[in-house]
Amino acid sequence: MSTIAATHVGQSHGHGHEEATGWKKYLWSLDHKIIGIQYLFTSLAFLLLGGALALLLRWQLAFPSTQVMTNGDVGNPIALPFINPQFYNALFTMHATVMVFLVVMPLLIGAFGNYLIPLKIGAGDMAFPLINELSYWFFVASGFIMLAGFFVAGGAAAGGWTSYAPLSSVAAYNGTKMGQTLWAAGIFVNGLASIMGAFNYITTIVNMRAPGLGFFRLPLTVWALFITAFLLLLAVPVLSAAGAMLILDLNFGTSFFNPAQGGQPLLWQHLFWFFGHPEVYIMILPAMGMASDVLSIFSRKPVFGYKAMVFAMIAIGFLGFIVWGHHMFVSGMNLVLSAAFGVSTMVIAVPSAIKTFNWLGTLWGGSIHFTTAMLNALAFVAMFVIGGFSGIFMASTPVNIFVHHTYFIVAHFHYVLFGGSIFAIFASIYTWYPKMFGRMLDETLGKIHFALTFVFFNLCFFPMHNVGLGGMMRRIADPTAYEHLRSLQPINQFITFAAIGLGFSQLLFFWNFFRSLKYGKPAGKNPWHATTLEWTVDSPPGHGNFATTPKVYRGAYDYSVPGHPRDYIMQTEPDYPDASAPKSSPAKVPVG
Amino acid sequence: MPVPLRCLTGVVLMSLLALLSDAQAEVRQTSVWWLPRNVNMFGHEIDFIFYLILWLTGVTAVAVFSVMIYFLVKYRARPGIPAIHSHGNNTLEVIWTTIPVFIFLALAIYGNEQWTQMRLRTPPADALPVAVVGEQFGWNVRYPGPDGKLAKMVASKVGKDNPFGVDPADPDGMDDFTTYNDIVFPLNRPVRLYLSSKDVIHAFYVPEFRLYQDMVPGRVYDFVWLKAEATGNFQLACNQLCGQGHYKMFGKLSVVEESAYQDWAKSKAPAPTASVEKSNPVPVSLVKK
Repeated sequence: MSTIAATHVGQSHGHGHEEATGWKKYLWSLDHKIIGIQYLFTSLAFLLLGGALALLLRWQLAFPSTQVMTNGDVGNPIALPFINPQFYNALFTMHATVMVFLVVMPLLIGAFGNYLIPLKIGAGDMAFPLINELSYWFFVASGFIMLAGFFVAGGAAAGGWTSYAPLSSVAAYNGTKMGQTLWAAGIFVNGLASIMGAFNYITTIVNMRAPGLGFFRLPLTVWALFITAFLLLLAVPVLSAAGAMLILDLNFGTSFFNPAQGGQPLLWQHLFWFFGHPEVYIMILPAMGMASDVLSIFSRKPVFGYKAMVFAMIAIGFLGFIVWGHHMFVSGMNLVLSAAFGVSTMVIAVPSAIKTFNWLGTLWGGSIHFTTAMLNALAFVAMFVIGGFSGIFMASTPVNIFVHHTYFIVAHFHYVLFGGSIFAIFASIYTWYPKMFGRMLDETLGKIHFALTFVFFNLCFFPMHNVGLGGMMRRIADPTAYEHLRSLQPINQFITFAAIGLGFSQLLFFWNFFRSLKYGKPAGKNPWHATTLEWTVDSPPGHGNFATTPKVYRGAYDYSVPGHPRDYIMQTEPDYPDASAPKSSPAKVPVG
Repeated sequence: MPVPLRCLTGVVLMSLLALLSDAQAEVRQTSVWWLPRNVNMFGHEIDFIFYLILWLTGVTAVAVFSVMIYFLVKYRARPGIPAIHSHGNNTLEVIWTTIPVFIFLALAIYGNEQWTQMRLRTPPADALPVAVVGEQFGWNVRYPGPDGKLAKMVASKVGKDNPFGVDPADPDGMDDFTTYNDIVFPLNRPVRLYLSSKDVIHAFYVPEFRLYQDMVPGRVYDFVWLKAEATGNFQLACNQLCGQGHYKMFGKLSVVEESAYQDWAKSKAPAPTASVEKSNPVPVSLVKK
């Protein structure tokens, strides 16, 4: 029963709902923790689906089912005959759509945002619990709407996740009128879910922090999600509007994007990328925040340059809105515009560099524990560096012209999105799973899973840089149709085998995840000896989170403070006055 | 720690490959592990910036990963050795903010300068004008006849029955000839492209020319020009997803000696202007495909 609405002084936040029980708990709970877990399970299911789509399209690239036009080869015996070119186009379109809108965003923002924000700021729940639950169900609905495309006449949307008009907006050009409409409708509904979540997070963080928890005492995870929420609120409505216009063009005779009837194809690109570039940061900022916290916990050190980290994220948030044009250099852009977008794009690399240096600073002088969570966080940093560097090639207009739309860019964004975001998500799952479910994940299985994922990830995506430089276009159903690409077919097959290895390695993770729900070691309140508020309560925390509203006395990162008997000081611990307290060796993180 | 080691290996490999770039120039025709050979006058500048960025990022990546590995080894948890309590260092923050600002700004300005120069460089008067108009799923190509002039293209007129958007009465166009999926460029002679599209966005992409240009329908792109510096056979590929036949929307593109080009041009009959006269004013999207 919720009798403990964790309000803080003078501010009631309307946390008055009852605790749901039984099956109702997972269907219609207003508790942010249940909603977070709902998001977690749903998007992990979508991760499996998105991965399956990826494996199918990789198989087609390695062993194309399409007959090679030019030299009369017979079809490949191990090709999958049901992958025709249109279905291939639908595969990569839906792979990207699922991964962006149904996996990475909801995992970072829906699952961890919901679960961690109230717990980390000492609140009993979100500001608007009902809207929170609505947001989840809108997200689920958007997933089903998009995927329904596979079962309608013409098949799923096949215009790429960017759905450039007029291919996407004229049924005669795309042949997937229904699928494309469902795609746009799904994007629209998904946008509503994001908007509901975003203003909920902002309101919660601004109004419901525990007493003593000033903005500059917030963990970076919360800062990152706070900034991300602003990006969502400003960028997502633009995409929703574009989606609505696309539906009108496809079905109701308008012509926003079709030049044959006075429309403007570039309008779609501007609207899409005005959303699309902040979206890139929406998918990496929360990962940066959570990885920072994980690095700090397992280095037993405060985050290096905490304020610099915060300001860097704010800078990324601002700059993220003025770089969208770099996706359109190739459309024949005015030189003044391309100069402005080129410079702003290079400048946005600076805060990312600052963050990388500060992560290294956090490791410096630490006492580094190589837990599975830490290994994943370190992989996040390393892969993000590679993805960041390959981004610099794209920011330089002349080079962009050459590598744009080749596999080089496919390599680039997978290094950022998988190497970055997904590794950070694994790090976060290993860190906060004990809090969510009260049990530890198995460390041995975790490390095997990490090693396999890390190796296969690099084997899969690094060679894509090379085939891209070699001139292989993205989004072609059959590279062997091109003379100049035929000699790279062995590399394509290699990449496909690595992708299969990568995909099947994830089964270990799922095995670990579900097995540990029942058989994992009990976690206790604070298995990692971390400092923030969520670790002061039971695992999993009860309804309403805190028995009494916590009072915060210090920042989120007081690790290894000299003179303190433990190597961490909880945020709720009042100043210890006695600096001459007996010294003892620092407590060990109990998992090695 | 296998974590950053592997990345390091990758970066070192990439840098080594860059070193070998000159030696590889010949291999490229068949190898796709690296940049294909460049046969366009403009490609040199692009390749130079590419290698510049490769070196900069390569060296920085080696430095970053070395530091990371060193820290991971040196500061691994050992009993009795506590972590240093430090919240950061403002001097360091200033240093590692300022230096990247200068490097990135320099890169941005340099890259933009090159780009502007490439775009503003006007094609010489003797440049051969060639019109290329994409459609689902092939390339309409139009060459000037003996007068060396192409008919004027009007973007709004480009459509199903008038792929080049020309006025059939245009005297410059009377001797023009057209081909389909077949492009021939003369060696060492500037070629000025007029690019457009009949239906959806296509893109003109030839890796050996370091050339990529989106062709957005409703627009004629007249600023792209090139000069082929070597003969050979290449493939023109559409590099903007344009529908289910996208993967096979390619054309033959060869660079030949000037005399061979003249012979080829002579062998092509002038475009039958009669077919163009029946140009249909109905917008392309309304025409049943």
